[in-house]
Parts: sequence; structure tokens; C-alpha cells
Amino acid sequence: MNKKYAMAYVVDRCIDCKACMVACKAEWEVPEDHFRTHIDQGMKEDFHGKTRMDFLPSQCNHCDDAPCVTVCPTKASHKRDDGIVYVNRNRCVGCKYCIPSCPYEARFFNHDLGVAEKCTFCLPRLAEGLEPACATTCPGNVRVFGDINDPTSEISMVLREAKNNRLKIYKLREDLGTKPNIYYIQN
Amino acid sequence: MIKTGLSRRRFLQATTASVALLGLSSLQVKASEEEKSAPVGEYYTQNLCEMCFWKCGLVAKTVNGKVHKLEGQKHCPSNFGKLCAKGNSGVFQLYDTDRVKFPMIRTGERGSGEFRKATWEEAVAYIAEKSISIRDKFGPESFSLFAHGSGEHSFMNLMEVIGSPNIVIPAFSQCTGSRDVAWVATYGKPVGGKEPVDSDNTKCMMLIGRNAAEALHVGEVQEFVSGLSKGAELIYADVRFSKTAAKANQFMMIRPGSDTALVLGMINYVIQNNLYDASFVDSYTTGFDKLAKHSSQYSLEWVELETGISESAVVKACESLAKAAPHCYIHPGRRLSRYGNDVQLVRAIAILNALFGNWDMPGGFYTPVGANIKKPHMVEIEHHASHERADGAGIKYPMAPKNLGLANKMIEAIANQDPYPVKGMFIYGTNLFHHKADSSIVKKAITASELVVTCDIYMTDTAYYSDVILPESTYLERYDPAIVTSRKSGYVQFREPAIDPVHDTKGGWEIAELISKAMGYENEFKTIKEFNSLLFEAAGTNEEYMKTNGCYVKEAGEPFPRATGKKPRFYTPSGKVELVSSKIADLGYDELPTYTGVPRPADDEFRFLFGRTSYHTHARSQNNSWLLALHKHEVPIWINAERAEKLGIKDGDIVKVTNGKNMSGELVAKVDNLIHPEAIFTPQGFGHESTGLPRMRGKGARTSDFCSNDTDPISGGVGLHNGFVQIVKV
Ligand code: SF4
Ligand code: SF4
Ligand code: SF4
Repeated sequence: MNKKYAMAYVVDRCIDCKACMVACKAEWEVPEDHFRTHIDQGMKEDFHGKTRMDFLPSQCNHCDDAPCVTVCPTKASHKRDDGIVYVNRNRCVGCKYCIPSCPYEARFFNHDLGVAEKCTFCLPRLAEGLEPACATTCPGNVRVFGDINDPTSEISMVLREAKNNRLKIYKLREDLGTKPNIYYIQN
Repeated sequence: MIKTGLSRRRFLQATTASVALLGLSSLQVKASEEEKSAPVGEYYTQNLCEMCFWKCGLVAKTVNGKVHKLEGQKHCPSNFGKLCAKGNSGVFQLYDTDRVKFPMIRTGERGSGEFRKATWEEAVAYIAEKSISIRDKFGPESFSLFAHGSGEHSFMNLMEVIGSPNIVIPAFSQCTGSRDVAWVATYGKPVGGKEPVDSDNTKCMMLIGRNAAEALHVGEVQEFVSGLSKGAELIYADVRFSKTAAKANQFMMIRPGSDTALVLGMINYVIQNNLYDASFVDSYTTGFDKLAKHSSQYSLEWVELETGISESAVVKACESLAKAAPHCYIHPGRRLSRYGNDVQLVRAIAILNALFGNWDMPGGFYTPVGANIKKPHMVEIEHHASHERADGAGIKYPMAPKNLGLANKMIEAIANQDPYPVKGMFIYGTNLFHHKADSSIVKKAITASELVVTCDIYMTDTAYYSDVILPESTYLERYDPAIVTSRKSGYVQFREPAIDPVHDTKGGWEIAELISKAMGYENEFKTIKEFNSLLFEAAGTNEEYMKTNGCYVKEAGEPFPRATGKKPRFYTPSGKVELVSSKIADLGYDELPTYTGVPRPADDEFRFLFGRTSYHTHARSQNNSWLLALHKHEVPIWINAERAEKLGIKDGDIVKVTNGKNMSGELVAKVDNLIHPEAIFTPQGFGHESTGLPRMRGKGARTSDFCSNDTDPISGGVGLHNGFVQIVKV
């Protein structure tokens, strides 16, 4: 079976330290004011009127039905067999169609190179046998990366355990039919 | 709340195993595998992070002569493979075009920012000549040193060679001093820089103003998250709903400055309701009866009146801790330079811990495992300083250690040239203008000095006012003597340069030796290589191992000796945990912690509070674009919504703070109900004056201009949180 790369966030472990954002920036020389991954802060009151603060990581969802791939006129944006949505920089003409098409705001325009840019699941690192830079550095051990088609991978095990423990497992905006591949696990 | 129950540790082990099969277990493995096929010029070097002071072990990957990426050493017990945002941004700092690139000698007035480029020979000769004249005129004691960072011993040794006692490590008076004095009084030893709280195994932890999630020492926060994910309960009292509060089961918004009232009330409740560990108290403590009598005055009604925390919340906290005991702790805190009564606060915390019998117990406090290594010296120095210190450490303040000094008092002694002339000021890696309350005193001290020398990597505000700036190589460009660290195991950490210096810079040791020689001293400095090989031998390792692994972990010792039946020893006068402190009584202060309220702001004022955010260190990192991008180059100020409304301030408005004397730069209002109405909060380290730090110059508040300059009478440490400001809309 083909590999299918995905990431799960054990959300409650996140402390919003943003180490992931900077590790990614260093590894991929992401232009100064941009990041390929973000942490959002969510505030709400729970039913006791108590303040709750959540930290929600996000990055490209490597959607199975990716609008960015659909709109890309040059096929620079494409879905690989291993599940990664990848932008071929040689083919990208910088038309920017893909940027607003992404409902997750995962893409930005790299002005230095004149191409659309986003998370690659650290494809070149995977080739070297390393975990993604963000997961490697995460002090909270929030980010679990791996092949969800392999039942023995860490991500498969974590998702299984989360299910067994009846934890909330969700993805972002599944209603849009994009079939995203980032799993959020939360209590 | 983290209650996923996911035992990440198990999964990690599983991954490590499966990953190892694929040959990806560590960078080292990768490095050696790649040696054959790697592109020319790709290599890995070992280091320890210098972006804050936790010293995480790291591996630097260099590609074609450029440091590309830093990653944590998997097995280093400081950080187990992880780095925070600051750590990851070390690459930006290395190549920051605003670094000081060559030695500089002042040409204009002090503070004019006018310098000329100098060679190392010129700069060193200038310093030596001035220093010799100062020494011959005023004596060897007329030098001061303010130092912080893993190269600090270089200039400390230089001071010892000269024979000055006035070596100051500001981390004492400005940070952990009052805490450690309280711990010494109670337990006979300081808490130490790597707080030995066992968050990993704890069942319940209480933090009082210790914002662990944002203070962000990687090892500390890893254990914190790990403990929470295993179901530990977190009780958190603070004036602000910080990121730590986001993880708390019980958050208590406390009135600023009333922490001691809360803890005294808890002590009383725990004793009155027999929630304490009677067998620990009987066997290992002294003064229980006195304590019980003394604390009986602190009722929960009174606590509520003082702190604003309801009786039921305090009861709940006490019961949670008691239920978890001895696998619980109340954190001793870290920066205890808050209200000028900090020793007594931490004394109360120390006592409450003792009542739960958590000493040397899993989930409580552990005993750091020493590496038992006899460390060599970089320089052999036979003589000792003949004078007493100028700052009163160890004399006027007997509990302030003479080897650390009191930065606050030293700067005042220099400003007033009292008790004796101190004319030559050396600064290594610290920034007086940002850590000393009231920058006018710093200016006065600089004016009173005949020579001011700063060794740093940036043109800090203090460098800006100096006569000579000696640019140091960053940690990625220099060797430093290997260090020995103690946590649940003892270990050795190694630093080697990833690349040659980018600019005309040198390491602190080389600089100190040059000055020492130029002043005519004959003391021989070992090379770092010589020092390291002696240290490695004493530790049972060698250079080859260190170059491959970066960190040598000696056999793990026993962090919880009491759990295996060993009797704990306490190096207090009585040999026991002193609930009633004989040391503090001897000094003429309250032998049991009492509560003295703090001054309150007027109706139109706010208490000026400051602290860390997750991605900056002190005043050191505010020129780092990678970090600034994380907060869009904005400096926030937390303001309570109701009070902001009265002032017509809305979320996102640009405001400034003023205390009549100083006016801050621009701050972005963060208006919500997450902060106590009495206080505002802004991150430390902004509001720079130096033109050498262009990215954030003048933005935000230089906290030292708005805080108080109080003194804790017992430790001599500073109290910074009694400053009051008004907010003006821009
Ligand atoms: S998240 Fe956005 S960029 Fe990523 S695959 Fe989906 S649509 Fe494309
Ligand atoms: S997987 Fe790689 S590219 Fe994607 S966010 Fe993480 S570090 Fe960046
Ligand atoms: S590194 Fe981990 S803990 Fe830190 S913000 Fe990113 S996901 Fe959260």
C-alpha cells in the first residue's frame, strides 16, 4: 500500500511556544514575516463561566481533494502518491490563484522567489529519514507525524489510543469536502 | 486542560524503536551515514544553547560554510532533543547584520553613540593602560564586574587576577536571590538554577506567579506538559491569565503582592485540618508548634480580604495538594525580585511544602544528582582579594553570597563611590540599563567610573554608554570550557564552534587573557582544549565522545533517596527543616513568615508588572527578526477591560505608560479580563535606547524605567513590582 502521510496534534499539550514556527522557518528559509505553520489562540468561557484558552496549531492540511491543486493552471501544485500536496517551484508561474483558494490560509506568496509557498511535510527531511522540523523541535510533543496507512506507525497508534479513550478527534472544516489530513486530538 | 491520557512516553519509545530500524534515531547516526555521500561541506558540531540560560544541548548543522539549522541533542537531559523558538532563532542571531563586528572605542560623549573602529591590539592596550592607572591610584578593589552567561567565568577570573572582590552575578539580586536565601534558611541549600521539582511524576502542582509555560526553559516545560498529560492537577495563582493558566485546573486571580497572605492562609488551613504529613514533620522539622500557633491568625476570611481569592478556592487547593501528597509540590518560583518581601514569601512556600512531606519524593522535590567531578581551573590564582565587597553582600546582607554579590547595591555603591572608589567597570553579557531599577542610577555609576568596558555580541544600551566595546563571538563561533550540569542525572556539556567567527570577534576567554597579559599579570590561562581534556578525564569520558555526542550523561544517581528509605540530610543549623528559621532570627528578622501588605496604586494608577513571553530572553533577543515576526514586531500591554473602558482605550489601541519621570515607547493595548484591574503587564526587554538595535529601538517600555527599586531586607535582593504608572493613549 502507498504511504499516506498525515499529522496529528495532541492539542492539549500545546503551550503556544511557537518553536515549531521558527524551526520550520530556519529549515526552509521561509521569508522573514511569513510562516508555514501557525498557532492560534482561542478564548472561550466554559459552562461554569470559567475562562478557557486553547492553542490550535495549523499548517497545510495536505487535502485529498485540494482546491489549490484544482485551481493551479500549471500543475505546479499537485498531490503526490504519498499524500503530500507539493508545489513544484520550477512549474509555478506565481499566478497566486491557489493562495485565496485554500480555505485554511496555508499558503503565501514568496516574493523573493516569485512562487506560492506552503508546508511540504518536510519532504526533503523525510527523504533523509528525519521527522518534520516542527515535530522534531516541539517541546510539548504535540505533533505526531507519520504514515496513517501503517498501523504500527506512531500516528496510527496515537489515533487509536485517542479513539479508545473517547477523545475528541476532528479535522478543520470537513464540511468543505477538502478531505484534510491534519488530525486534532483534544479532550 | 491536558487530560488526554495519551501516554506519549510509550509512543515515543515505540517510535524510537521503529525509527532506529530505519536508521533515523539521531542526527549523529545520520551524520555518520552521510559522511560518505553527503555534499561537500556539510557537517555537524556540538553545542549548548546560549539564547537563554537553561543551556539546552544542541547540534548545529553547517552546509557549505553556513550554519543552517540547530536541533536539540536527543539524549541531553536539559532538553531531550527539543529547542524552543529562541533556541531555533540562534541562526538568525549569528548572521544578524546588527551584531558588533569589531572592537570599538568611544570618541564622543558617553551615550552619544560615537565610536571609532579599533583593532584588538588598540582596544586591549587602551583598557590595560586605563586599568593599570586605576589600580595604581585606587587599588585592585576599584574594579567591578557584572557578568552573565556561560562565558562569565572568563572575566570573573580576570577580576580575581587583578584582585577585586567586586564580582557581581546579577542573577542573584535581580532574580533568584531572595528565593534561594529562603530555601537555605529552611532546607539548608538553595533551590538552584534547574529547579528540582518533579513535574513529570507529580499528582498535583501549585505555581504562584511562576509562569512555567512562558518562562520556557525547555527541560522544565517538557516535564510540566508530561506531568499534566499523565493527569497531574495544576493550581495556578497569578495576577494574569497567562499561557500557564490555560493549562490549569484551578486558576486563582490574585491581588498583586498578596501571595504571602495566600500561602500563610493555606499553612493555617492545612494545620488546622490535619492535612499535613505528621510523620515527616516529627522526624525532620523543627518549630512546628510555634508555626501552628503563629499561623492560626491567618484565617480564610482574612485571606479572601487580602487576596481576593474565595475561601472555597483556597480550601479546594489545600485539599487537592493534601490528597496528592507527598507527590505534590508548591513551586518555589524563579524570579523572586517582586515586592521587597520575597524571602518571607518563599519561606512560607518552603514551609507549606515541608508540611506535605514531599522532600526527596517522586512528584515533589528531587535531589539533583551531582556528577561528582573534580573540576579543573582555567587559571591558577593564589592570592585573594584583600578588600571587603563594596555592595554589602555577605556583610550588611550576611545571607547574600559573596561569590554572587548584589547587582542593585553594587551599582549604587559605584554611583555614590561609597564605601570606597570603584572606578573600572566591566560588563560581560549583561545590560545594566535594563536590569537595574532606575536607569538614572546606572548613568550616575557610569559617570563616576573612569573606565567602562562592555563585552557583548550586540550594541546593548549599556554598551552604548561604554568606553570600549569588545565584540564577543557567539556561542556558535567559539569554544568554551565544558560544563557540568545536575538534574535527575549528572552530565557534561560540550561547546565547539560550528564555524569560524563571521566578524572580527573573539571568545570571552581569549579576551580576558589578552587583558590580563597586557596588564602585566603572569597568571597562565589554560587553553580550553587543555581544560576540557582534564575535565573529560575526571568525568570518565573523552573529546572524541563529546564531539560525537555533545553531552555525556554519567550514570543516573538517585534523585529520590527518601523514597528508597534513605534519611535526608539538611544543612541548616539544627540539621532539620527549619520551619522556624534560626538564621533569619539571628539577623533580627521574623523567624516565621509574616505578611506585610504592599503599597497600593492610586485610583488613576496601575501597578507596573513585567515578565517573560515564550519567545524572548531578558533584553537580549529583541533584535531577532525571526522572533519579532512571531508577534508582528508589536509590544503588547495587558490592561483590564473595565479600567481600559474608563480610559477610553480599546483593544489594539496604541498607548504609552508614564510615571511622571519617564515615558515609554509605543505599546499595543491588549484589553480583556485576563489581568487584575490593579495592574498592567508588558514583556521585559523592549524600549531600547541604543541605535545599534534598530529593529525595536524606542518601541515598548524599558521596564527598569518604571519599576520600583525596593530592597528585600533579608537577602538584599531587589523588589521591582511596586512601581506605579499611568496609561496615555497616543
Ligand atoms: S490546506 Fe490549502 S494549500 Fe494545503 S492542500 Fe489544502 S487547500 Fe492546498
Ligand atoms: S512539516 Fe515541515 S514544512 Fe510543514 S510546517 Fe512542519 S516544519 Fe514546516
Ligand atoms: S512547538 Fe509544539 S508546543 Fe510549541 S507552539 Fe508549536 S505545537 Fe505548540
